[in-house]
Amino acid sequence: MSAPLTIISDQRYLQHDTGGGEHPEIPARLQAVSQALEASPYFSDLTFVPPHVAEREWLVKAHTEDWLFRFEEAVLAGRTYIDHTDNQICYDSYDIACLSAGAGLTGIDLIEEEKARNVFCLVRPPGHHAEHNIPFGFCFFNNCVVAARYWQHCYGKKRILIFDFDGHHGNGIQSAFEDEAAGYYISIHEHPSFSYPGTGYGDEHGLGEGKGTILNLPLSPGGGDDQVVKLLQETILPKLNEWQPDAIIIAAGFDAHREDEMTGLHYSTELYHTIGLVIRDWAEQFTEGRILSILEGGYELSVLGDSVEAYVRGLLGK
Amino acid sequence: MYISRHMTGEPITVSSAMLLPEARALLNDYQFRHLPVVDENGILLGMLTDRDLRSAYPSSVLSNSERQLVYEKVEKTTVAEIMSTDCVTLGPNSTLDDALFLFDRDQMGALPVLDEERVVGVFSIRDLTTAYKNLFGVGEKGSILIGIVDDGSPGIMTRIVTLLEEQQIPFTRLLRICGKSDGDTIYLRINTFKIAKVYALLEEEGLTVKRA
Repeated sequence: MSAPLTIISDQRYLQHDTGGGEHPEIPARLQAVSQALEASPYFSDLTFVPPHVAEREWLVKAHTEDWLFRFEEAVLAGRTYIDHTDNQICYDSYDIACLSAGAGLTGIDLIEEEKARNVFCLVRPPGHHAEHNIPFGFCFFNNCVVAARYWQHCYGKKRILIFDFDGHHGNGIQSAFEDEAAGYYISIHEHPSFSYPGTGYGDEHGLGEGKGTILNLPLSPGGGDDQVVKLLQETILPKLNEWQPDAIIIAAGFDAHREDEMTGLHYSTELYHTIGLVIRDWAEQFTEGRILSILEGGYELSVLGDSVEAYVRGLLGK
Repeated sequence: MYISRHMTGEPITVSSAMLLPEARALLNDYQFRHLPVVDENGILLGMLTDRDLRSAYPSSVLSNSERQLVYEKVEKTTVAEIMSTDCVTLGPNSTLDDALFLFDRDQMGALPVLDEERVVGVFSIRDLTTAYKNLFGVGEKGSILIGIVDDGSPGIMTRIVTLLEEQQIPFTRLLRICGKSDGDTIYLRINTFKIAKVYALLEEEGLTVKRA
C-alpha cells in the first residue's frame, strides 16, 4: 500500500547558494514550503523520502558532456555565476544540481516499484529553462527532461505528458521534445511578449515527427483563475483524451501567483488547489493515479508555502 | 542590412521551355512558391508562381470531361506561356528596407535578386520576417522587450544605459520611437529573468515603465 503522497526532498538543497543580495531563487523558498507543509492538516498524509544523485549517464540523456564539464569546472574554479549573472553558483552547486535532477529518478523508481503513486519532488535549483548545453533563468539541469528520459529508457514509457503550470514558459522542455513524437509538452504561461524567457508562442506546435506534441497556452498579463480553469477543462483535457499519456510529469511552478512579482499573472492560492485536483483526476483517468510533480519556480515567500500546500491538498484529493 | 546576407543564394531555376507538370512537381517537391525562369546564361526571363500554376490547372468545379481537356492542354503548355514577365527585382545592394517597401507596395511573396540581369538569389517575405525577427531579437531565448515612457527629458537615453550597465543588466536592443497612438516610447530588450528588479530600478531612477 503506497502513501497518499510521497515528498522527495533534502536539506542539502539549501546548500545551493545564489549569493544573497536580491536573487529570488534562494534556500528560504524550500524552507517556506516545508513550514507550510508541516502546518498543514494533511501533513500526516505525506511520506518523506530522500533523493539519490542523478548519475552522469542520465544527465547526458538531456544535456551535453560539454555543458556538464563546463558547469563542474565553473564551480570548482570558484566562479560566482555561469554564462549570465542570473545563474548564480557556489562551490556545491554542481553536486546539488545533480541531487535536484536525481529526485525525479528516485520518484520514478518508487512509482515503478509500486512503493508510491503520487510523488512530489521539492527541489532546487529548478530546471525547466535549462537547455541541452546552456543554463538559463536559474536552471542548470532540466529536472523534468532528465526524469522523462529516465522513464522512457528504464521503463519503456512511450507517451509522456509534461504539463507545466509555472508562470514562465519551459523553453528547455520544449526544445528537448519538440521534434519527437514520444513526449507531449503542455504549458500555461504568461505571454512571451511580456515575460521571461520570451518563448512559448501559441503557434508553436512541434517540428517534424513532433508536430502536434507542443501546446503553448500563453495568457496576457493579468490572466488569472477563470482562464486557467477554462483551459484545463476545455482545451487540455480533450487533448489528453486524444493523446492518452502513459506517464505524467508536472513542472510545478508557483510564480504566477498574484503576489509574485516574477510574472504579471494573477493566480490565487486556491487556484493551485484546483490545479492539484485536476491533475489528480488526469492521473486517475490515464495513468492509474501515477503522477510525478517537480518543483520549478515560485519566489514570493509570503505565498509560496501556502500555494504549494494548496497544490498538495489538491493532489491528495482533499 | 543588405539582402544578399539574408536571401536564398543559388536558387533552383527553370527554363522557359519546361512543361507545366515538371514545374509543378519542382514546386511541390521543394515546397517553393516562386521559381525564377532563366535562359541558358541565367538571365531572368520571368517568374513562375504557385498561383500561376493553380490558375492554369483545371478548376475543381468543372465536369470530368472538361477537366480532362484542360489537363491535356496543361501537359503541353510551357512555362513561358504562363510566367509573369513584368518582374520587380532586387539587386545585391538592395537593403532589407528596399525589400520591405516592395513587398508592402506589390504584395509579392518573393522577389528575384539579380546581378546584372543574372539571377543570383531569391528573397522571400519569409526571409524578410526572419531578418527583422533577428534584428529586433524577437523570440531570443532569455530576453524580453520592455517599454519606457520617453518624456523627452535631456539625457534620458544616457540615464537608462548608465543604470543598466552599472547594475550589470545585459541588454541587446535600444529603440527610441515617436509613437502617434501610444506616445513616445523607448524600447529596451533586456536579457534577464529578474524583470521585476529591472522595473524597480528604472522607477527608482524616475522613469516610467509601460507595464502591460
